[in-house]
Amino acid sequence: MTGNNNRGVLFKEHSDYQFIDAKVNSNTLVIGGGIAGIQASLEVANAGYQVYLVEKSGTIGGHMAMFDKTFPTLDCAACILTPKMVEVGQNPNIKLMTLSEVKEVRGAPGNFKVKIEMKTRRVDIATCIGCGICTEKCPARAPSEFDAGISQRKAIYIPFPQAVPNKYLVDKDSCTYFKTGKCRVCEKVCPAGSVKLDDKDSEIEIEVGNIIVATGFKPFDPARAEQFGYGRYKNVLAPLQFERLINASGPTAGQIKMQTQDKKGKWVYSTDGNEPESVAIIHCVGSRDHNYNKHCSRVCCMYSLKFAHLIKEKLPNAEVFEYYIDMRAFGKGYEEFYQRIKEEGVHIIRGRTAKVEEAGNRLKIRSEDILAGKLIEQNVDMVILSAGLEPRENAKNIAGMLDVSSDETGWLTEVNDKSAPFVSNRPGIYLAGTCQGPKDIPDSVAQASAAAAVVLQSIGSGKIKKYVADTTATSL
Amino acid sequence: MNDIRIEPKLKEKLEAFGLADNNLCFNCGNCTAVCGLTERDLTFPRKGIRHLQLGMSEKVNQSVEPWLCYYCGDCSKTCPREANPAEQMMSLRRYLTSVYDWTGLSFKFYTSKLWELGALLFVGAIVLGLFGLYHATSAEPIIWDLRDGYVHLNSFAPVMYVHYADWVMAGILSFFLLSNLFNMYLTIMRSDKSLKIPLHLYFTKIFSIPLHFATQMRFKKCDNKIGFWFMHLFLMSGYGFMFILVLVLLPWFQIDQGINWTTYPGYYATFALLYGSIYCIIGRLRKKDEVHRYTHPSDWIFLIMLFLTTLTGIMVHVFRYYLLMPAATYYTYAIHLAIAVPMLVVEVPFSKWAHLAFRPFAMYFADIKKAALAIKK
Ligand code: SF4
Ligand code: SF4
Ligand code: SF4
Ligand code: SF4
Repeated sequence: MTGNNNRGVLFKEHSDYQFIDAKVNSNTLVIGGGIAGIQASLEVANAGYQVYLVEKSGTIGGHMAMFDKTFPTLDCAACILTPKMVEVGQNPNIKLMTLSEVKEVRGAPGNFKVKIEMKTRRVDIATCIGCGICTEKCPARAPSEFDAGISQRKAIYIPFPQAVPNKYLVDKDSCTYFKTGKCRVCEKVCPAGSVKLDDKDSEIEIEVGNIIVATGFKPFDPARAEQFGYGRYKNVLAPLQFERLINASGPTAGQIKMQTQDKKGKWVYSTDGNEPESVAIIHCVGSRDHNYNKHCSRVCCMYSLKFAHLIKEKLPNAEVFEYYIDMRAFGKGYEEFYQRIKEEGVHIIRGRTAKVEEAGNRLKIRSEDILAGKLIEQNVDMVILSAGLEPRENAKNIAGMLDVSSDETGWLTEVNDKSAPFVSNRPGIYLAGTCQGPKDIPDSVAQASAAAAVVLQSIGSGKIKKYVADTTATSL
Repeated sequence: MNDIRIEPKLKEKLEAFGLADNNLCFNCGNCTAVCGLTERDLTFPRKGIRHLQLGMSEKVNQSVEPWLCYYCGDCSKTCPREANPAEQMMSLRRYLTSVYDWTGLSFKFYTSKLWELGALLFVGAIVLGLFGLYHATSAEPIIWDLRDGYVHLNSFAPVMYVHYADWVMAGILSFFLLSNLFNMYLTIMRSDKSLKIPLHLYFTKIFSIPLHFATQMRFKKCDNKIGFWFMHLFLMSGYGFMFILVLVLLPWFQIDQGINWTTYPGYYATFALLYGSIYCIIGRLRKKDEVHRYTHPSDWIFLIMLFLTTLTGIMVHVFRYYLLMPAATYYTYAIHLAIAVPMLVVEVPFSKWAHLAFRPFAMYFADIKKAALAIKK
């Protein structure tokens, strides 16, 4: 039985969607190469259809590639992610476009025309043999994105050893040649003649039937919450920085070290540093706070507990203090993990830290232990600020370009939070991962596979699924 | 421990005292940890907010903490829930003033503009009535001209009568204020049976009263608030001088034959009061500083009265000594008293000004409790 709702849209009763015939192009565009984008691409490609995977940076992998362990099982993140990345690189059905951004989407569901801007790598992927001589000789340095700024990389570099594509690239902003007009050392030393400093950006247009958006999140910049001293005091770390610090491929080879002065007197994280005797982990930095973001970022409680465990594992004698407001251990096995961390002797204190101050060589934490009703002043050697997740700066632009809706914070909105939590309000465009809201890895992966399922349904049936949305419905 | 009785409607009761949304607070403790005045065993403002959420009226009544807060606003600035803890403390102070006041007038004044304005008008009418009564019954005539070259204010308002009236008023105000203070002592110190307080502490700690009263030194502990502390002290010194001039030195202050030595402290006090009241009025209009962002009707009434008192005082002085206008002097003098007296009668024992007594005493009680706690341990 069918009927008309008050907006005049035809719908099937007892169902919040309908199928509309269309000539569906079997190519799919996936925007974003983090874990969600990787998962979605593999699902569609393994069904035998062509995928264009567009990634803004020089490699796929996203934030997950930076993680050390995953909660609550403490599996190594790279062990889960790297095989998937390699698979993406090798799958003939996936056309991977790194350093690329979607600029324009025209057309209708089933037949989108997409303009993609491809920034040049300045290294020819086809011929580069990955010998690394260029990096060795390059004189210019910049903070490493992959190490979240706690180590340096060269201007010609590979993002990280397992990067896909496993090729080098030139960062124009830090390159001496682009700054001063002189250098071109990499070009001279390259045995394969692969360095192409004068290459220009290009633009292509592709046609796809469906789009999966997996543009991810931006970590909250803890410098915005000045009271915690990030960027001003030594040994105050953002969470991704700590992930790198405890990772065997990080600047301290996985040892937890405090900052120390290098030969030039600069404060750096290196194996020469001292081990901290006490570490404070501060929850809800930039989340659940009307001054920044009202939402709960969902993952920070758990990664904080994971950090506490990893510190205890590597430095059994270190005291670890966690200051939280509410403990959000919502997922499968999470509550058990929380209890386990408590048994490991971590001091878990209910009360938001109000400020971090320098106290000689140490850091003073000021909190209220609200369960005891006492003021706490605690000196520690290192502070980790459990910063939350935010929409990307350009989330509103992405939403505008794709003509999908987003909420006041900037998260892309689903058409129905229960029955279609990964479907945008525009037919043919699906959401996967944290672009839709903060979530952990299992949820991101599940959402990506779900989005892929609906895309495959559409290719297989030659129909477009249209949801009857409460949000501003876009016509087909 | 005693049983704790819950008064679920406590929050709603406090709303009449300016409490906004108490439920916004999710008890993170940020405010307590930010506050420069909170101490290990004397934490605020979160605890008071929590007691309000739970309706623990006994705990609220017994608390000294609201009086220890100087409204620097730091806690409100960083509260993640925008629950405005500083203003919640202010509402608690208003409410506690009414708790200590056994007459019930404070409750009426704080919760009803009509009552407050009515009381001000009523007392003002009495003042004018007394002038009328005096001149209807007195044989002495009012001197309306500039006899001997000066304004004969004392023929309109003989200084000795005004002086006696001052003392009567001061006596009445002291009676109410002291009895309210005694009530405060009973509420805070005697109702909490869990802590035994050795008697000698009441003597050894007595010095905290004059110390805190005169220096407001705790205010200075608030981070970066030296400016506010200085402003507050300046305003207080203005009150202090005026108080002495009017209560003790009036026979010198109000002589007709021109300016004398009491005039100069008078000028200082006037300047302090004028500057202070204008500063606060502008601040509350601009709402830039946290302390001025929220204004209860009682705050406006007080500030306007203070400003008008100062202004009419200045006008009396100018008409009398500089413009030599007898009639204008007499009328503004009557108006001056018809504003100043009601302000004092309403504000000192029952409203905003009561804090000048409650605050140092709260610190005194807090010091005693802390010492008693230390002895117990
Ligand atoms: S030197 Fe040439 S071949 Fe070797 S990594 Fe650099 S660009 Fe590639
Ligand atoms: S997950 Fe935990 S730390 Fe993160 S915002 Fe939510 S409550 Fe705060
Ligand atoms: S008033 Fe604000 S800062 Fe204080 S406990 Fe409540 S939510 Fe936290
Ligand atoms: S207003 Fe200032 S003094 Fe009062 S509780 Fe807040 S931080 Fe403390």
